[in-house]
Amino acid sequence: MKEHESIHLVDDEPALLKALSRLLRSEGFDVKTYGSAEDFLKKGKIDRPGCIVLDESMPGMAGTELHRELLGRECVLSVIFLTAHGDIPMGVRAIKEGATDFLTKPAKDTELISCIKNGIEKSRRLFAEQAVLNTLRERHEALSRREREVMEHVVGGLPNKRIAEMLGVVEQTIKVHRGRVMEKMGAESLAQLVLFAERLGLTCKPAV
Amino acid sequence: MNWVVVIWSLVAGACLALAAVHLIAWVRQRESLANLMFSIVALATAGMAACELLMMFPGTLDRFTGLLQWYNFSRWLVTVALVGFIHFYLRAGRAWLEILVIALRTLGLIINFSVSPSVYYLSIETLRTVDFLGETVALVEGVPNPTVLFSQISLLVLAAYLVDTTLRAYNRGAGNRALRIGLGSVFFVLSLSAQMILVLWGFLEMPIAASLFFTAILGVMSFELSSDVLRAAKLTRTLQIRERELRRERDLSDAVFNNAPGVIQLHSQEGKILRWNSVGGAPGHASGSEGRFFWDIFAKEDRKKAEAAWHAAFQDGRSEFEIDLPFPDGTARRFLFIAAKVEIDATPHAVVVGVDVGTQHRLAAEASRQREELARLSRAVAVSELSSSLAHEINQPLAIILSNAEAAQRMLASGSGDMDEVREIVQDIIDADVRAANVIRRLRAILRQGPPELEPIVAAELVEKVLGLAKPDLDSAEAQVTVSIPKRLPVFQGDRIPLEQVLLNILKNACEAFGKDSPQPRRISISCTVENQDIVFSIRDNGCGLPENSAEIFDAFRTTKPNGLGLGLKICRSIVHAHGGRIWALPNKGRGATFHFSIPLNSGKP
Repeated sequence: MKEHESIHLVDDEPALLKALSRLLRSEGFDVKTYGSAEDFLKKGKIDRPGCIVLDESMPGMAGTELHRELLGRECVLSVIFLTAHGDIPMGVRAIKEGATDFLTKPAKDTELISCIKNGIEKSRRLFAEQAVLNTLRERHEALSRREREVMEHVVGGLPNKRIAEMLGVVEQTIKVHRGRVMEKMGAESLAQLVLFAERLGLTCKPAV
Repeated sequence: MNWVVVIWSLVAGACLALAAVHLIAWVRQRESLANLMFSIVALATAGMAACELLMMFPGTLDRFTGLLQWYNFSRWLVTVALVGFIHFYLRAGRAWLEILVIALRTLGLIINFSVSPSVYYLSIETLRTVDFLGETVALVEGVPNPTVLFSQISLLVLAAYLVDTTLRAYNRGAGNRALRIGLGSVFFVLSLSAQMILVLWGFLEMPIAASLFFTAILGVMSFELSSDVLRAAKLTRTLQIRERELRRERDLSDAVFNNAPGVIQLHSQEGKILRWNSVGGAPGHASGSEGRFFWDIFAKEDRKKAEAAWHAAFQDGRSEFEIDLPFPDGTARRFLFIAAKVEIDATPHAVVVGVDVGTQHRLAAEASRQREELARLSRAVAVSELSSSLAHEINQPLAIILSNAEAAQRMLASGSGDMDEVREIVQDIIDADVRAANVIRRLRAILRQGPPELEPIVAAELVEKVLGLAKPDLDSAEAQVTVSIPKRLPVFQGDRIPLEQVLLNILKNACEAFGKDSPQPRRISISCTVENQDIVFSIRDNGCGLPENSAEIFDAFRTTKPNGLGLGLKICRSIVHAHGGRIWALPNKGRGATFHFSIPLNSGKP
């Protein structure tokens, strides 16, 4: 079973890194190891789908600190904690903050591997969504200022006539803009455009 | 009235007065025979004076002869009493001389009464009158009796006796008192003798005036006696003062004895209680203790111990012992007794002081118990705080083992793994396993309770054993170890396994102190010395040395190692302290540090 996704192991214990990478490589994963959280931040690629298996207690930056750091970045990696002295509050907090799993050492290989596989799946989806979103963003940014204005009102559910009144132009002009928006955004229907807008997090101006 | 009558009457009166005074003195103080004798001398002298006065105006010859007889009797009495006085006053006379004087005088008296008319005259012819002190007095004319010489010899013997006794008394330390009395008496006795010879032989025309001389002797004696009285009065005053002082001393010692907050006893050299105080109603203080042996106040089973300790004090001058002192209410309290030998009136005695140390013992035990409790609590807290850390420490190697084993299993199952890889995996598993075992050992050392179990330990054997245990670390650190232990090092008492752990920890620290950039060659030297009843182990390395806060390295959770728990040296310290020893580290002048730990050679009471 070949995977393109990388597994990033972050642990301060060289012997464990060695053992885990042996195990995961035997499963066919692409494994990269890091001796500390800082080391990972320096070298690790976080914008590709994959999994990060993270120890909590490390000298320097702890696992949860790295996790929080990654949340602030556009990270598509699934985060799996693997720690020797995890407790329930710590696990709950980690999951709430978006970790995929929280395992305690020593973890059984099957458990670890299934978690990693889940994580990779999730990462892939995340990566795909991220890709779609990126496309939409690019398309949205390609719109002119007037077109973006028109789009906001359209997804807000206003008829063309009303939009024209608000913008102080004739209805025909709005129709032209609207056609361009649909074309540029790649939306085949109004419903799809609304969906896109939502994904982009645009503030829809509701009809009054 | 004329001078003769005045003088002789005065003499007689004075003598009587003296006789009366000293008679009263003797009656009041019967043992003072000198006073009685003095009184008799004075009485007899008064008699002499009366006779002499009457003989000067006899009227008839027969009357004179009769008076002369009585006069001689008075002389005899004076002499005997004088000897008696000197005998009792100076207490230095030779008995034979005294007897001789009295015998001669008595013989003279017998002769006087048996020969007619007297010892002085063979025959008395006539009475004639002469002028004496402006008065006409009577003198006799007669043939002197040769026996008068006898009388004179007795006077000379008396003088000799007085001289002899005076000198003897003086030599015995009686001092000027003896000289005044003795020589004064001798002078007047000799003067009297001379006067009598001159008168009796007719060279001097005057009556015999022996009473005057004896009065002079009386004067000397009286002077001395009154000095004695004065001296006695002074002595009495001094005695009264001394007595007051003594009473105060006694009161003071009683106050100290009775109010001392403990037991004070004075014992005879046999161990019998002579004096004791009554504090706390302890036995040995109650009445009836006097005359009991000291050790009998203790419970039966303690008596031998008390007796032995007491005798030890008597032999060595001092000893201390602790023993339970029973009280009347059935309880017993722990007392510390200190017994010391003292000399009282040149006789050895023992003073024993006992202090209630039960309270101190209880307090000390309580404090010790609280300390132990605190230590146990702080250990418990430390353990609880550590539990997560320790879980990490144990789970880490377990995780390594598990993952390695699973990897190997997969490799073997798939048939893809090469044997070299598998061998490497197995080695990693073993290493991790050893690590886990070490963690558990350390944990046990922390949780361990109770005092060390002591056994005799030979330093060289201990070091050898630990070097065997530390071999893997020493080998991987490429350290050269030199050991220098004197052959005749004494065997000491210790708990073997923990002490091995101490040495092992220090050696492992030394190995880790070399780090990556340590210079070759890496050296560790172990030495063992005896200093002040301690055996001191010193482990010297040329590694990275001590951190700046080197005083804290023995505290828990202090570590310079990325994976260290900071407990190794803390454990070392606990173990060494449990042995009553201490542990310290000093930087070397050059590179590295030297760790020392000392174990008392007599650590029988850790």
